[in-house]
Amino acid sequence: MKIDFKTLSQKYGLVIVFLMLCLGLGLLTDRFLTVSNMVNVLRQSTINGIIAIGMTYVILTAGIDLSVGSILALTGVVTASLLQSEGVSVPLAIVAGLTLGALLGLVNGVIITQFKVPPFVTTLGMMTIARGLALTFTEGRPITGLPDGFRTIGTGSLGSIPMPIFIALIAFLLGYIVLNHTTLGEYIFALGNNPVAARYAGINTNVYIIFVYIVAGILAALAGMILIARLNSAQPTAGLAYEFDAIAAVVVGGTSFSGGEGSLWGTLLGVLVIAVLNNGLNLLNVSSFYQPVVTGVVIALALLFYKLLRR
Amino acid sequence: MKTNTFSPLALLSRFSVLIILLGIGVIFALGSEDFLAPNNLLNIALQTSIIAIVAVGMTFTILTAGIDLSVGSIMALCGALAAGLAVKSGLGTFGGISLALIAGMLLGAINGLLIVRGGMPPFVATLAMMAVARGLTLVYTNGRPIAGIDEAFIFLGNGKVLGIPVPIIIMIVIAVIAGIVLRYTRFGLHVYATGGNEETTRLAGISPGKIKMAVYIISGFTAALGGILLTARLWSAQPNAATGWELDAIAAPVLGGTSLFGGVGNVGGTVAGAFIIGILSNGLNLMGISSYYQQVIKGIVFILAVILDLFTKRKK
Repeated sequence: MKIDFKTLSQKYGLVIVFLMLCLGLGLLTDRFLTVSNMVNVLRQSTINGIIAIGMTYVILTAGIDLSVGSILALTGVVTASLLQSEGVSVPLAIVAGLTLGALLGLVNGVIITQFKVPPFVTTLGMMTIARGLALTFTEGRPITGLPDGFRTIGTGSLGSIPMPIFIALIAFLLGYIVLNHTTLGEYIFALGNNPVAARYAGINTNVYIIFVYIVAGILAALAGMILIARLNSAQPTAGLAYEFDAIAAVVVGGTSFSGGEGSLWGTLLGVLVIAVLNNGLNLLNVSSFYQPVVTGVVIALALLFYKLLRR
Repeated sequence: MKTNTFSPLALLSRFSVLIILLGIGVIFALGSEDFLAPNNLLNIALQTSIIAIVAVGMTFTILTAGIDLSVGSIMALCGALAAGLAVKSGLGTFGGISLALIAGMLLGAINGLLIVRGGMPPFVATLAMMAVARGLTLVYTNGRPIAGIDEAFIFLGNGKVLGIPVPIIIMIVIAVIAGIVLRYTRFGLHVYATGGNEETTRLAGISPGKIKMAVYIISGFTAALGGILLTARLWSAQPNAATGWELDAIAAPVLGGTSLFGGVGNVGGTVAGAFIIGILSNGLNLMGISSYYQQVIKGIVFILAVILDLFTKRKK
């Protein structure tokens, strides 16, 4: 009974918070509950949403990835340069960018598992390294003017669904299936729950830890591509502090920092809550400088709420 | 930490930071003739002083197996508060700086509360504070620099006493006080104990919660002081000041032999670690390497330092 109550309030508590937030904003400003604004909110949340899927995987193993924002920037500028100055075809450039994201994630995973460096230290180092590489690669200047074929992933639409939303949905579904309906996902939960027991059960935990950082790297790269396609420009300073929004979404979604407990549904709701909050602040003409302040406070509140719930 | 038996490896790891410092110094001295000029050496010490002050506070949090990612943002916020309160609110330099230092300690106390009472992992609580304090800095400054600080304020960053730049004197004072506190006081002993084994500490009748609160307040204070000195040096408070400085502030104690798992380390090592970073930046500058590429090198050195530290600890 107690467990049921717990999961119920965790799942539906957040839904209620989200609905109340929407209702409140709808009452405060009549521009909020319009179709165009809703689509806008969804489109704005796609980039954070895609990154947050990978972050959920990582946090489920009791890890963290602070380097996603920098990986997004580095893969973005490399992809843009392949498309623009090297004349590489669109599919090949996308594959190359995603591969680079996977490689950077692999490096994170190897340092964490083979050298036992704590995840936040490893990825803090990678955050600086990848940002430095993005700046060095571009000499600090943006790469602008991308081919139309590539820009479709940011600006096009499939039927009436904007392409970024479509891509984010596919990423979410894939992430969900892998996490909840495969042995791989089962192992990720198991090693987050109790790494020692998982090892004794014959699971090669290192492989799965490396895997989640690769997933985080690939998804950061994917988000970066949508971003540069939409802006028609790859900035070496893009994605600053994106790790913070992604972590916020995962935390608000109820995934525990000690690993093994959480869900992608929660993360999805967390992404939406944060997007709606930011959108609401915009509509209410609150300076965007307040956004990190509000997000930080929301993280603290969510964590305290879940702590009380878990007692 | 103190061993009676002679072990070359222990000796090597104890003095490894000084050996690295010396090694880098020799390389740069051979690579650039400007490096060993007295003016350049003083310049290095001046550039290192602010990060060293912040790193001394960071040493306290790391000794308890914690971390403070919010120091860069607290530097910016308190640097801006000091300038804003002194200039815009007319509280004068002394009033502005005093209040900014108190604000730094308050922010540190909030970090401590979130960690101790809220049960949040230190890197999450301080990551949230990093975003909040940066946002508040932008709100307070409206995204624009605050200039117009008076002579006395500027003196703190650019003045000299007996030929020694003021920030260097402040760094020495802070490092000496911190060193004495850690080595010779009951509180210092408890800081090491909290990081060494929290459970034993609790059984020994020490409240790890109180010790943790204290170390985050100390880290908030040193970050505020660093931010004020940075404002003084630049003649103005910049809303984006000290972005990313938390990496240097963490790297310095780690390079200086402070274990990220708590309980091991000292202030002398941290100051030496800060000088390694300062010399590295200075030498790379003299060799004409871009600041962008320096970021890459810094990140790699950071990770290598942690790996090296883990490696020597495991050997023991």
